[in-house]
Amino acid sequence: MNVYQPFTVRVAEVTDETADTRTLKLEFTDPAVAERFDFRAGQFGEYSVFGAGECTFCIASPPTRKGYIECSFKSVGKVTKAMRELNVGDVMGFRGPYGNHFPLPSLYGKSVVFVAGGIGLAPVRCVIWNVLDLRDKFKDVTIVYGARTVADLVYKRELEEWGKRPDVKLWTTVDPGGETPDWKGKVGFVPAIVEQAAPSARDAVAVVCGPPIMIKFTLPVLKKLGFTDDRIYTTLENRMKCGIGKCGRCNIGHVYVCKDGPVFTAAEMAALPPEF
Amino acid sequence: MNATTISSSDLSGLAADLLAARVRVAGPARASDGTVEYRHAGAPAELVLDSGVPRRSLKEFFLPPTEPLFAWRTGAGGRVELLEAPLPADPAVVIGARPCDAAGIEALDKVMGWDYRDEPWFARREATTIVSLACAGFDRSCMCTSVGLAPDTTKGSDLLLVPIGGGAFRAEVVTAKGARLVAAYPARFRPASGEAEAEAFRKAAREKVAASAPPAADPLRPWLDAHFDHPLWREASLRCHGCGACAAVCPTCHCFDIVDEPETVGTGVRRRNWDTCQTPRFTIHASGHNPKNDQPARIRQRVLHKIVIYPKKFGEMLCTGCGRCSRACPGGMDLPEVLARIAALAGGAQ
Repeated sequence: MNVYQPFTVRVAEVTDETADTRTLKLEFTDPAVAERFDFRAGQFGEYSVFGAGECTFCIASPPTRKGYIECSFKSVGKVTKAMRELNVGDVMGFRGPYGNHFPLPSLYGKSVVFVAGGIGLAPVRCVIWNVLDLRDKFKDVTIVYGARTVADLVYKRELEEWGKRPDVKLWTTVDPGGETPDWKGKVGFVPAIVEQAAPSARDAVAVVCGPPIMIKFTLPVLKKLGFTDDRIYTTLENRMKCGIGKCGRCNIGHVYVCKDGPVFTAAEMAALPPEF
Repeated sequence: MNATTISSSDLSGLAADLLAARVRVAGPARASDGTVEYRHAGAPAELVLDSGVPRRSLKEFFLPPTEPLFAWRTGAGGRVELLEAPLPADPAVVIGARPCDAAGIEALDKVMGWDYRDEPWFARREATTIVSLACAGFDRSCMCTSVGLAPDTTKGSDLLLVPIGGGAFRAEVVTAKGARLVAAYPARFRPASGEAEAEAFRKAAREKVAASAPPAADPLRPWLDAHFDHPLWREASLRCHGCGACAAVCPTCHCFDIVDEPETVGTGVRRRNWDTCQTPRFTIHASGHNPKNDQPARIRQRVLHKIVIYPKKFGEMLCTGCGRCSRACPGGMDLPEVLARIAALAGGAQ
């Protein structure tokens, strides 16, 4: 079997997150693969619908939950439209896990601040659940999550669950104008809400993922709060095909996002050519 | 280095022996329109060794323009069966490869083999013996001497033939695979001779290429690192149609796409096809954001991938100076000229 041949996975559950964003729960068809499959938070894979092609997504479920993986996607192109056509029981392909990961064991004993925008919550959600499944190994957990409108918030049931937990500080927000009459969260852009939440940088790291514009304005806020560049992590989502450092399309300078990333610290990103 | 001698007629005879032994033989040969390309030969007489640089590089023998990765077949109850593409393992000998093309193949072993091993690539690599023919230097687009190589480089070759006059070649054994070829057909090889003639040929060829080649590319790296944004790339892009001809003919451009080709309802093949960083679609995100959003950025990527990115990552140049990109460009883009311009800028900056 060459490295481009995927495992087959079966759709076990379909969850609509928003009007155009959906989560698929996928189980390996081969019990032996299901048994040995392992990954780390932050890794990604190549998901495919036979006949439509392959697409790159993070693994949105945490490695602490065995036997399945989850993939959250927005219907945009040929493959994601085909993925949207799939029903429970349908078979698709998955290659992975690929790439580096968040250095979780080395963060034991620290506080973690999660900042996410839009569907950027998918890779962050994997880390959030990983941390919550090992909750006693971490200090404070703060989550700031925003979307353009209330309708664009993903993982709504989980947001509700995190909001109820006494061991999680959750701040949800929508862009001005994106609120509904019964919206109970904040109204404002993510960087402003991070400033309001003002999580302590003492013994803490930040995990940031979202649109480039959100990241751009969030980094200075985190720095003001005392987070240094080596304690801010993000995950890049470049276009990829092979996922294994061959096909050339995810290059940023000499970095292959698929192999050297997708997880980078802000310090590592600052050393890259301004081309992402 | 072990050496031996082979005459032109014995070289044809070797090709005939190989074909008789059901080994595929390839080399420069005329296409129906008269241009010389690397082709599989059905008879030794099809090989034309004195023909300059073949139109396309040798890479297509190792990374074909399109190749199946696996097939799928949907069965009862939605079951999907994946059928592996058989690994290409037919023994083959390339006769008359240009040293710049052989060097490109060896350079690509790095990216094809780091961490994840690209089996189709290495299956072909292992099954193929490359017999190169030292080059006399071809035209002003040649620039192998600017990228640390030479018209007689042995990099990537298993056996290197150097003309010694009288239609004979001194054959230098470069690898164990080359030694096995010589040992398998002892009647075709004679004791080594013509060392002085071979040396004279090599020296003349190096001087010929170096006379018109741009300055060495290696020392340009610090300047390129320090000048990521520079008007140079916009100037260069004015000639670029974004057609990707440069990448298609290049011995080292290896970027590819992976696509599904449905065949009937429920069956089809996933294939790997050549691709190029010169088109906007290569890097565009689903959101519409494109990190390499204009032609200057895409030209910069191609040049930097060759002389900065690949050396930093894999320790060697991703250009072998074959000159094909300059010859093929419909807009008249000229890599030697671009390098000379960078060298002038770097010189001025120091």
